[in-house]
Amino acid sequence: MREKESGTPALEALNLTKRFGSVTAVDGISFSVEEGEIFGFLGPNGAGKTTTIRLFLNLTRPSSGEARVFGLDSVRNSIEVKSIVGIVPDVSNVFSEISTTANILFTASLYGIGRKERMSRMQDLLETMGLSEYSEKKAGQLSYGLKRRLAIAMSIVHSPRVVFLDEPTSGLDVSSSREIRELLRNLKYHGTTFFLTTHNMEEANELCNRIAVIDRGRIIAVDTPERLRREATEAQVIQVEFNRVLDENEQRQLVSLGPFHKIVPMKDSYKLFTGDPEEAIECVFHFAFSNDLRICGLNTLKPTLEDVFVKLTDREASFGSHA
Amino acid sequence: MEVTLDAGVPQKPGVLSELMKSFSIAIKDMKIYYFKPAILIFGILFPVAIFFAFTVGRNVDASALFPGLIALTLFFSTTTVGPFSMPWERLNRTFERILFAPVSVSALALGKTISAVVFGLIMSVVPLLLGILFFGSRVSNAWVLFLGIFIGNASIANMGTLISTFGSKQPQNVMLLLNLIRLPMMFMSGIFVPIFELPHWARIVSWFSPVSYATDLIRCGLGFKDYFGPLISSLVLIAFGVLLFLACVLRMTAWNRGD
Repeated sequence: MREKESGTPALEALNLTKRFGSVTAVDGISFSVEEGEIFGFLGPNGAGKTTTIRLFLNLTRPSSGEARVFGLDSVRNSIEVKSIVGIVPDVSNVFSEISTTANILFTASLYGIGRKERMSRMQDLLETMGLSEYSEKKAGQLSYGLKRRLAIAMSIVHSPRVVFLDEPTSGLDVSSSREIRELLRNLKYHGTTFFLTTHNMEEANELCNRIAVIDRGRIIAVDTPERLRREATEAQVIQVEFNRVLDENEQRQLVSLGPFHKIVPMKDSYKLFTGDPEEAIECVFHFAFSNDLRICGLNTLKPTLEDVFVKLTDREASFGSHA
Repeated sequence: MEVTLDAGVPQKPGVLSELMKSFSIAIKDMKIYYFKPAILIFGILFPVAIFFAFTVGRNVDASALFPGLIALTLFFSTTTVGPFSMPWERLNRTFERILFAPVSVSALALGKTISAVVFGLIMSVVPLLLGILFFGSRVSNAWVLFLGIFIGNASIANMGTLISTFGSKQPQNVMLLLNLIRLPMMFMSGIFVPIFELPHWARIVSWFSPVSYATDLIRCGLGFKDYFGPLISSLVLIAFGVLLFLACVLRMTAWNRGD
């Protein structure tokens, strides 16, 4: 297990801004991540998550502000920064034409790891990642899940102090996602710092020590998953199912009747966000009675991270909450 | 067995380590691209077909055709690997994988150039051997011939790498741009007609093509009349190589800014 160094944060963003022409992808964000933390960066597509990672790696230059890794400026000390970070991008960008081992060995050589050490790390990684039986197979012939594992192996071959994971389980089936999350949990125990971007609420909840919610390039909250949920008291939810679908007028009427902040139509039901569930339930019954509707189901739900996001951004979550 | 994530120590860029990374990139390119059909077609078949299309039926000694054939093969083979591999890797985002690593832009450009040079060297030696073994070519100045093939490859390979930094991420579009530049250049570089036999205006144009100097050295090395002389040709080729390499580094640095 890695020992913690002096109080220098593993990652630090200081008023970090990135503009592409008239579009501001990252808008003056500031945060710090302590060594050994799994820090989640949660937000919908286009919120600025990937751009933030690229700024930390100097793959794109900030318009203003600074990104630091263990106190090293990502622009001025680009090579030093890259030598202590690993990145798992949103796509498994492995070299399809060469074998699994050749991919790992080539990546290790880019980090200046000697031949003997390269071989030893490659063997360890093949075992850890469950890739031993595919070692001589060309990477292009691996399944999507195995390519993802290979991409993770390539990103940690140099024992990085910080690993950026950009949507690590995106596009994976449930079982592969679970395996990848299990792998990440194991790696966490070695004291590595993880910066995880995701739009998957459950993943963030399950893995992260702290979560930053980012929307339209701005950080709108940073806290532990539990505290975020607790603070979102107004994001309590009643889920109600009627015997028929409500039209837009009826939905508006329902919201105006009680202490509701928002109504979100689901597949067969409606999610009603409220700060007072008891009064809200009474209003639902009253609405059903006056509109000659039958209530087929009624549940009160603990706020999920998705609900927190809806409350924080005051808009409907535009991303899934699949596990 | 578990992977131990040791405390990583930030690396400082060093010349030797950067050179080793360049070689790693070059070896990876050799494994992946040398046998791609597009490389073999544009790098070998294309120049051979063009050469014979323009020379068959001419009433000249077969050995007199070989300096041009060697120069054309060198030109096409050494400028094919970079313009194919770079857009291919950008398209598949594997190029990004190299940018994630602590590799300087110059080491990356050098790696791409080394893989192109080695391919060009191998391909240029094939017509040379064919000429010597079967068509009566003879080496009259081995050093000059070596300089022509080696410096020629090293210099012109950078042209291919530079072209690969322009335009789209689609290999076919970059190859199109490459051929738009290569095809007129081959007529102005003494490949089919020696430079001293070209009209005055074409001779002036030939000064601006690095291929002219490589062809001139190869002609001299194989005992044919040269135009610039070995010293000037070698120095100009080196100058072209350095300028083209710097241009590649500047272009790739601009990419790295991601703007």
